[in-house]
Amino acid sequence: MAEAALAARARAGDRVAFGELVDQYADQARRVARAVLQDPDDADDAAQDAFLAALVKLHQYDAQRPFGPWLMRIVANAATDRRRRRTVRRAESLEEGLVAGGARPDVVAEREALRGQLREALARLPPRRSLAVTLFDVEGYSHAEIAEMLGIPEGTVRSEVFHARRRLRTLLADWRDEG
Amino acid sequence: MSEQNTPFDHRPDLVLGEALRTALAPRGRSEFVARVLAAAARPADPLVDVLARWSRLGIAAALLAALAATLVVGRGSRGATESVVGGADPEAVVAGVQAPEVGVLFASYSDR
Repeated sequence: MAEAALAARARAGDRVAFGELVDQYADQARRVARAVLQDPDDADDAAQDAFLAALVKLHQYDAQRPFGPWLMRIVANAATDRRRRRTVRRAESLEEGLVAGGARPDVVAEREALRGQLREALARLPPRRSLAVTLFDVEGYSHAEIAEMLGIPEGTVRSEVFHARRRLRTLLADWRDEG
Repeated sequence: MSEQNTPFDHRPDLVLGEALRTALAPRGRSEFVARVLAAAARPADPLVDVLARWSRLGIAAALLAALAATLVVGRGSRGATESVVGGADPEAVVAGVQAPEVGVLFASYSDR
């Protein structure tokens, strides 16, 4: 497995190998972090923290297993911790943002508005729920892999994906009806 | 997100997935990678780590000391109250207090 070899080299101090791992997983890690945090800067900070933590913990990585789920577990924890530390004031402003809506004349603006609403809806979900649906529907991980990443039973992952989808599909359907 | 999809569908929802992927799409990938690598190359500050560890230990010790002090003080004040009241009726204790006689109080002055 190429990732395992890269991880082994990174663990031995090879910065180029670590750079390749970061390059390979940067987008995924940032998306997963943003599913929990909404704010792109916060998400990037959490993703960076996760990569640095992964570098320190590389000796714990089992090379027989895929690298992605192991890394995404660290990303999920970093993003969830950061979200927990955020202030109540910020959460309140999020609520206000969701209520605000209204018709937008321009299609591009409408699509951007939908993306914003999806991000906000994701950020309003409990972190575990937004992580579950993002890891499943966006990143393509299996229920079993997500269960291991989040440290919860597989049935709970299915339930979390179900509830998240219900909320997000409603949002998409509303947008289509309006369009 | 086809209508046939049930919420418990075991397959990824491609439409919803794509919408979310677009919504969560990060920008400035190369800048981010460079930023992470720069942070990884930065040497960790061992002094800060040591101080952080000490402060955590200090806070834990202070909490334990405060808890112990609360227990000791609480037990002590309960014992003092019991010794004053001595199991007697509280009203009797209060009513039983007699004002000191004025003559006793001013005896030292009158003797002079």
